[in-house]
Amino acid sequence: MTYFDAVVIGGGASGTAVAYYLSKKGIKVALVEKNDIASGTSGRCDGNVLIADKQRGFDTKMTYTSQLLLKELTEKIDYDFEYYQKGSIFVIESEEELTVAQKLVQGQREDGYPMRMMDKKEIHDEIPMLADDIIGGIEIACDSSLNPMKLSFGLSLEAKKNGAVIFDHTSVTGIRLDKKGIVEAVETDKGVLITKDVVNCTGVWAPYIGKMVGLDIPITPRQGQLLVAEKTFSPYWRKIQEFGYVMAKSQEGNYKRNIRSELEKLGIAFVFEPTLSDNFLIGSSRAFVGFDTDVSIEVMQGLAERAIRFFPVMKDIHVIRAYAGLRPYVDDHIPIISKVDEVPGFYIAAGHEGDGIGLSPLTGKLISQMIAGEETILPIDTLSINRFK
Amino acid sequence: MKFEGSRFQKDNPNYQEEVLIKQDIIICRCEEITLSEIIKAIKEGAKDINGVKRRTRAGMGLCQGRTCEKLIQQILEKELKKFPKNIKMGTDRPPIKPVTFGELGGKDQ
Repeated sequence: MTYFDAVVIGGGASGTAVAYYLSKKGIKVALVEKNDIASGTSGRCDGNVLIADKQRGFDTKMTYTSQLLLKELTEKIDYDFEYYQKGSIFVIESEEELTVAQKLVQGQREDGYPMRMMDKKEIHDEIPMLADDIIGGIEIACDSSLNPMKLSFGLSLEAKKNGAVIFDHTSVTGIRLDKKGIVEAVETDKGVLITKDVVNCTGVWAPYIGKMVGLDIPITPRQGQLLVAEKTFSPYWRKIQEFGYVMAKSQEGNYKRNIRSELEKLGIAFVFEPTLSDNFLIGSSRAFVGFDTDVSIEVMQGLAERAIRFFPVMKDIHVIRAYAGLRPYVDDHIPIISKVDEVPGFYIAAGHEGDGIGLSPLTGKLISQMIAGEETILPIDTLSINRFK
Repeated sequence: MKFEGSRFQKDNPNYQEEVLIKQDIIICRCEEITLSEIIKAIKEGAKDINGVKRRTRAGMGLCQGRTCEKLIQQILEKELKKFPKNIKMGTDRPPIKPVTFGELGGKDQ
């Protein structure tokens, strides 16, 4: 039996970030991961860190704060996680989208975020390979991108330097509470870790860990698929998303995209992400299919069809791989970064849906401040699990 | 890449020397990943093909690990002193060979 001040469960971007920020405070921390670091959702996702698609207010502020923390991390950790802040672009297909886009940009600008409209001429001058009928765009200057696996490896190696112990390929089998119901130890298949604080950073698997202390955590896996293109010329150098999808998602009016109903059903929306490895990723899709991470040909076809709609030039570029990952979905689209009143010493940092990578440093920072009893950099009330009561 | 001698490094007194000589050999041709980069990834915690892949990009390129997976398995075998059957291979994903976006999503063929 070994004593740790805190035990983090889950070795994805969130878990490694929590372990890193805790270890930096001199807290003796163990990280327990069932498989390898970044082998779950953090190894099957994209690396977008975007305020582009966020709601005005707190939602945007969370990601923006995280962008600042990521920039800071590039100087603090000795591992290149390919962070770059080049901005992102929304492309606009219709007049209806344009109206909503203008409203969004105006609001975000009032709040001080670097977003601006681009007219038809400007968007085509900027992105010559874009389909001719696109009528405008938005530039979001602060948006950024990184390599999620490298971020997780970098954070875990850095945590290790600060004295954290990483137990990979180790499964949590139970969480022991004392007579008063306070966390006492984490039981694993390799031994017992005595501790007073446990952080559940297991994303889509968080409900399983929650059950070990009789807790119901409302997270459901929401599958997403991506296509990987060959190394070739890049159709553009920054991230691009279609604006229509954000509108359809947030249900502005009764907006319907001009898109085949099959694609709508598969939750397909165009996202283009060039990587530092000279290839690019094409997303995105959404489906509730349990823990299934198989890719389907229908989704692959749909993603390719939608990509060609925005970039006809892509039709001759090769797809070399498709993969699927599971987003930890919460129905109000807000992550759960919270202590649990019923089980003193038990914390949750999960349920980020598609934003777990981007929000990982913020998640780590908040949890470390909560455990250390410090004031948090952002208010945490809205992130509490108590909102589901 | 072929190592001389027996399967495990403990049985091969020249293993470390051999690694040193061959450290700049490219194992993953598509992503240009060398033997020393793969060994570094194993030292940083990779225990199977996917672990090496996520840390180095070996196997993420055009051929999707068709050649290097087997080589990486041999390296893992020697570094971790395990039998090949105990080393997990990479995840197989479509497409089996590269297809164009047009072939996949075009409506006009």
